[in-house]
Amino acid sequence: MGIPVFLLIVFPSLFFAGIILRTKSICSGRKGPSISQPLRDIWRLFQKSAVYSETASFVFQIAPAVYFATLLLAIALIPLGGRSGLISFKGDFVFFAALLSLGKFFNIIAALDTGSSLEGMGASREALYSMLAEPAFLITMASLALMTGHYSFHGIFGALRYGSSLSLAAGALAVFVLIIICLIENSRLPIDDPATHLELTMVHEVMILDNSGFDLGLISLAGSLKFAMYGALISNIIIPHGLAWFYIIPVFLALQISLAMLVGMIESFMARFRLNHNPQYIFTLTSISLLIFLGALIISGKIN
Amino acid sequence: MTIILLIAFIISLIHLSVSKRLKTYVSVLAFQGILLFGAAFIELIRINLVNLLFILLETIVIKSIAIPYFLNYLIRRNKITRESEPYLPDFISLVIVTAIIFGSFLLSGTMYTSINRLFFMAAFSGLFTGLYFIISRKKIITHVMGFLVMENGVFALTLAAGAQMPMLVNAGILLDIFASVLLLGIFVNKIGGILKEQEAGQLRNLKD
Repeated sequence: MGIPVFLLIVFPSLFFAGIILRTKSICSGRKGPSISQPLRDIWRLFQKSAVYSETASFVFQIAPAVYFATLLLAIALIPLGGRSGLISFKGDFVFFAALLSLGKFFNIIAALDTGSSLEGMGASREALYSMLAEPAFLITMASLALMTGHYSFHGIFGALRYGSSLSLAAGALAVFVLIIICLIENSRLPIDDPATHLELTMVHEVMILDNSGFDLGLISLAGSLKFAMYGALISNIIIPHGLAWFYIIPVFLALQISLAMLVGMIESFMARFRLNHNPQYIFTLTSISLLIFLGALIISGKIN
Repeated sequence: MTIILLIAFIISLIHLSVSKRLKTYVSVLAFQGILLFGAAFIELIRINLVNLLFILLETIVIKSIAIPYFLNYLIRRNKITRESEPYLPDFISLVIVTAIIFGSFLLSGTMYTSINRLFFMAAFSGLFTGLYFIISRKKIITHVMGFLVMENGVFALTLAAGAQMPMLVNAGILLDIFASVLLLGIFVNKIGGILKEQEAGQLRNLKD
C-alpha cells in the first residue's frame, strides 16, 4: 500500500529542479537547459569520488548521507489521497519535523566541521531561519489535527473536509504557509539566492562549498526531494477526499509541476530580501499559522 | 464568505506591521476598503436600498479611492520620505500585532452575543493595531493612517450590528474620517514648509 505512494512522491522530485530552471529561463527570454539536465548533473557527480579536507573529521563525511536518509524517511511518512505512506503512527508529524531537524543539524555541524568561517556564517543563518519556520509548521499541523481530531498525517489528511468557509480559509492559509516554508527550507529566493556565490547574501550555498563529488550529488538530490515532499504535503491538503487513484495520480503530478513553476515564477519576478528583513518575513508565517489555530479552535468547538 | 474577508482583513494588519514604505500603507488601506465593501455587501444586503448604497459608497469610494488618493497627494506634495520610520524594529512590531490579534480573540470570547465572534476579533485587532501604529510611528502622516486603521476596525464592528442601525453609526464614521484627514492634511500642508521631516516629536517645539 505504502510503496506506490512513496514512489509516486519520489518520482516527480527527479524533474523538480529541471522544471524550476526551465521556468526561470523561459521567464527571462531564454530557451534554457532540458528538464533532465539537473538530473544528468547529479548523475555525473555520482560517478565522481569526494575530496575531503584534512581538517574535516568523520562528521563531515557522514553528514550528506544522513541528510539524504532523513529526507527519504520523512517522505515515507507522507500519505497521498487517503492512502497511508510507508510508515504511519500517531503523532508522526512531530517525528517528521524532528527528522527534518536532524538532517539540518547534520548539515550545520558538517559546515562547522570544515573550520571555514564563511561556512560557519551560513550555518548560523540557516539555523536561525529554520528555527523561525519551525513553529509555523508545527502550529499549522497541530491546528489541522485539532480540526480533524486525528493525530497522524494519514488520519489528518483523510479526515480533512471543507464544509464551512472557515475551514476553507484555514485550508487555504495552510497551503500558503506550507508553500512559503517550502521556499525557506530549500533556501529559495525571497530568503536566499541559490544562483549567487556572493558571501554576504548566501545561506545554503555557502554551507556546501566544501562538499564535492558524490556528496554534492546527494545534497542536490536531497534538495529536489525536499521540494517534492512539501509538494506532496500541499497536494494532500488540496486533493479532495474520496478521489479514485486514477484521478489522484494526474492531479498530484499537475500540482507538483505547478508548484515547481510557481517557485520558478517567484524566482524570476521577486527580488531577494535584505538579510535583516528575513526574520520578520519568516515570523509572519507563525502569525498566520496562529490564525489557522484560532480558526481550528472555533471549528472544533473548543471555543464557541 | 464574510469570514474569509475578515480573515483577509486581519492578515492585512499583519502585513501592515512589517511593511516599511508609506506607499504600502496606502495600498493596504485601499485594500481594506475593498474588503470592507465586500463584507458590507454580503452582510447588509437585506437592509433598505438607500442605506446599503450609502454604506457601499462610503467603503468603495471614500475608503478605497478618495482617501488613498488624498494620502498619496499629501506625500507627494510635502515630499515626505517614503520610509515609515517606526520607533521599534519591525520584528517587535510583528510580535506585538500578533499578540494584539491573539488578545482580541480572547477578548471577543468574553462577549455573550449572538454575533459571530470573528467580527469582534477583526474589530478589536483593527482598533488596537491602529492605536499601536499611532504610538509607534514617528511621522504625522502615519498617525493619520493609524487612525484610519482604527476607523476600519470600528466599521467592521458596526457591520456586525449594522442590520439594525447602520445609518447613524456610519454617518459618525464618515464625519470622523473627513475631520481627521482634512484637518491633518491642512495641518501638514501648512507646517510642511517649516518642519522638514514632519515627525511628531518636532511638534513639541511649537509655542503659542
